[in-house]
Amino acid sequence: MIEIKNLTKVFPARKGLLGHDAIKAVANVCFSIPEAGSVSFIGESGSGKTTIGRILAGLETPSSGDIWIQGVNVTKMPQAERRRFLRQVQLIQQDPYQALNPARTIEQALGDPLKVIARERGQDSAWIQTRMHDVLHRVGIEPGSVLNKYPHMLSGGQRQRIVIARALTVDPKVLVADEAVSMIDVSLRLGVLKLLKDLREQFGISLLFITHDVASARYVGQNGQLFVIYKGMVIESGPTDQIIDQPYHPYTQALLSAVPVLKGLENPGPDRFIPLRGDDQELIPDTVCLYQPRCPFAQTKCREERPALQGTEHAHACHFPVVRRVVATVRANEG
Amino acid sequence: MAAEFEARDFHARGVQIRNLRVSYQTPQGDIPAVNGVNLSIAPGKITGIIGESGSGKSTLAMALMNTVPRPGRIISGSVVVDGIGDMLTIDKESRRRAHGRHLGFVFQASQNSLNPLRRIGAQVLDLGRSHNVKDLRALIKRAKELLGKMGLNADRVLLSYQHELSGGMRQRVGIMFALVLDARVVILDEPTTALDMLSQASVLQIVRQIHQERHLTTVLISHDMGVVADLADNVVVMYGGELAEQGSTEEVLAHPLHPYTQGLIKAIPRISGPLDQAVALPGLPPDSAALMAHGCLFAGRCPKRLPVCGESRPTYESVGQGRYVACFRVAGHD
Repeated sequence: MIEIKNLTKVFPARKGLLGHDAIKAVANVCFSIPEAGSVSFIGESGSGKTTIGRILAGLETPSSGDIWIQGVNVTKMPQAERRRFLRQVQLIQQDPYQALNPARTIEQALGDPLKVIARERGQDSAWIQTRMHDVLHRVGIEPGSVLNKYPHMLSGGQRQRIVIARALTVDPKVLVADEAVSMIDVSLRLGVLKLLKDLREQFGISLLFITHDVASARYVGQNGQLFVIYKGMVIESGPTDQIIDQPYHPYTQALLSAVPVLKGLENPGPDRFIPLRGDDQELIPDTVCLYQPRCPFAQTKCREERPALQGTEHAHACHFPVVRRVVATVRANEG
Repeated sequence: MAAEFEARDFHARGVQIRNLRVSYQTPQGDIPAVNGVNLSIAPGKITGIIGESGSGKSTLAMALMNTVPRPGRIISGSVVVDGIGDMLTIDKESRRRAHGRHLGFVFQASQNSLNPLRRIGAQVLDLGRSHNVKDLRALIKRAKELLGKMGLNADRVLLSYQHELSGGMRQRVGIMFALVLDARVVILDEPTTALDMLSQASVLQIVRQIHQERHLTTVLISHDMGVVADLADNVVVMYGGELAEQGSTEEVLAHPLHPYTQGLIKAIPRISGPLDQAVALPGLPPDSAALMAHGCLFAGRCPKRLPVCGESRPTYESVGQGRYVACFRVAGHD
């Protein structure tokens, strides 16, 4: 129900002494998120995955490309209308502390958007109260325990739940979660991931999950699609489990190799390789493979021609696709 | 003098922590951050200390160096580093010299520990001068060698200011600073927290390599069980300022004894195996009231709670072969 076609975002060049060339943060990215479906974007910092989420949430405008939401082309809309329309897409960012005003109680933080909606729908304050309790229950928080509190009085996990609850006040169709658990304590992290998963399964809210952690993408994105993005381009895409089990692209393999192996519980994959991180600053001409300077398997052809994304269900952009078993396997002794 | 560096001793150094207590003074009273910790850090091994925020792991790391910032205060205990002595009682000047020379430290968010106004190379020289290194040329050479080993363009990095480096590069520069004076014990506090997976993996790989090459004793502080499980030889689990469990990484992961450790391991989203294996840990980390109470710190979240758990705190007992645990459920308690 959300369809993204040829999304491109170019950040313009800065002129002057410290000027630099225009930066193509996102290049020709296509994907769709079905109702109650899930799409994950994985890639390292600077890959452009955050920009995709921000465009979808209406915080950036694309340089070109189309965004269709329930059959409507959002990119063609006048700005005010688009902004209202894009309320259906809510962004959950990394740092829940920055997302909440420290001087306002949770009740006020949730009340503000609800008042706007209540005015639009001609509802009264009783409706606001009911809604507030409803969204808090949905994120697994007992309203009485938080409404009078300020953000600093809550744990990181609770704060992120409040941010999600606030997003739910506007009845979103899609949640865009951008590294939404990376600042949360480990013992609470899985709880928030489970919440995102449950919202999808129980309330049909689609999820765009943006992360560098493949394991959490696997957890929330069950039966979903996984997109591996490198320097703004999709270099591998397909069903999440299939990409984890049979990665074709060396970059995907590097990302999967980078997942820590739990000594005592897992054996490292036989083909696992730890890449040293290369220099990010270099400009790569359009005529060669983007990943070739860092690729341990690059060959002459990779330096002469850029591979296109090929395949339909499980697509990859590599001249020499070879499945490597880089993911750790569970040891037999684990009960 | 190059000889200064060549005369390295290859005896790895251990650290013995006894009865360490650190507390933070607050208007509500003193809050124990590290509460009676006894721990021997094995020489030549990588010891991972895992805990969530507020578990006291970073305070413990700072206490190892005797650099706990106010309003924190070391109440009692000793931290004996082989070849140096008790960090908590040696005079200020010996302590200053021990930092860097014997004990290397990589701070959490190492970007905050670099001087933004001086080039990295100049800061290496500053460090050398403050430790009376005579041959500064050799020092720079060693800095370059270390940076090169970590996959960085050493000349370029030494001429850079910190803002010109990416997060992963800064983290490596931090590791270089910890090692350039040939420290034998290296403490890494959350060395990979702000990094993405690829940078994390390469930093871990670097730590592993350098640890082996230089016979270091490495202490790795992290909230991430994956990082510790991948890198460390031994794991120490901290909860609410106390030790909950320790042992060899393989043993602790395959057979965790403390319910908190069991919960932490189950809460890791895994890359293989059945997905529903991952179970979230209920409840919240202990607040200051729980720290002051008499019962087990984990009792409020524990699925295996006994009546005794609410009344008294289990002691930290040896359960054989380097394994220790503080839990009434485990044999050895009565």
